[in-house]
Amino acid sequence: MFSRELTVDDLERLDRIATAAVDALQMDEDTFRAFYDRTARQVWAYLARITGDRSLADDLLQETYYRFPRADRAFTSDSHRRNYLFRIATNLAHDRHRRGRGVVNVPVPDENTPGALADGSDLAAETEQRTDLARAMARLKPREREMLWLAYAQGSSHEEIAESLGLRKSSIKILLFRARRRLAAALGGRS
Amino acid sequence: MSLFKRPRPRRAKDIADTECPRESDVLDALASARWPQRVERELADHIASCAICQDVIAVASVIQADHDHAWREANVPSSGQMWWRAEMRARQDAIREASRPVTVAQGVAAMFALTLAAVVAWFAWPSVHGLLSSLGLTGDAQMTFAWPMLIPLAIAMGALLIIAPLAIYLVVSEK
Repeated sequence: MFSRELTVDDLERLDRIATAAVDALQMDEDTFRAFYDRTARQVWAYLARITGDRSLADDLLQETYYRFPRADRAFTSDSHRRNYLFRIATNLAHDRHRRGRGVVNVPVPDENTPGALADGSDLAAETEQRTDLARAMARLKPREREMLWLAYAQGSSHEEIAESLGLRKSSIKILLFRARRRLAAALGGRS
Repeated sequence: MSLFKRPRPRRAKDIADTECPRESDVLDALASARWPQRVERELADHIASCAICQDVIAVASVIQADHDHAWREANVPSSGQMWWRAEMRARQDAIREASRPVTVAQGVAAMFALTLAAVVAWFAWPSVHGLLSSLGLTGDAQMTFAWPMLIPLAIAMGALLIIAPLAIYLVVSEK
């Protein structure tokens, strides 16, 4: 099949195209970095817990922050921007789930994690609680895990959850209720 | 009286039963670490009698504890590193996108050339066959005689395969 060597003109043209692609990003570097510093850990924790896979969470985090600055959207507030970020992360997790990876497994809690003993709490009890939660979460539907995490870990309102998951606000109340009831039952009424 | 219970019609109360107005107070108590020791007596009594708030406590307390752990556990790349990677990928994707017309042009040209060759062969073969028959050649002798006549056709096809994509590429890239 036909092929040809690249000329200097070609290289200059491609460089112009590449530079234009970077210029077309919807955020400048400083804005991106500040936003990333504020949100990256939250997004990672969300991805790690809804997929149950830390290395998958690493991959999806990168993909999320690659797609985010390319989104041609006008954000009215920081919360709107954050919800959209979670929506990208959620959609990526769903895509992986459909393709077979991201079947939620029960992560083994890392007992050597620095900070686990920092507050002087009972390490064994904490580890057991996290394992119970991971097992119970694994029994829920992906949508339920996402909703519960956003509501109780991120403290998102119903409106924010709806925006992050692409659902109608009116359906969040009942869906969240069912998800909460299922998780509470799976946790065995632990309080 | 019926022996079987009819399904209960869904009422507004069922929907109201999906949430409790004290939920936010319960979440506040959890977030401020007042639950369970330092929570107000009145709220504690309410929780003891409210199934919804008991579920909220059961679920939110473990999720919040897990969130704190996940926060400490998160080992995310630095923002500078992430920006650099995003920038590099944007560049690579743009270049790949820009190079795509060449590939498309090659495919289009190859299909065009093959179709053209087939059409030419279809229309030309009866004339060639007639010419060979009139010369009294049959079978292998016909092929031996016809082969040199097909060479210019093959060269023309080859030239078309090279020139057509170039021409299409130049038109597309100029745009």
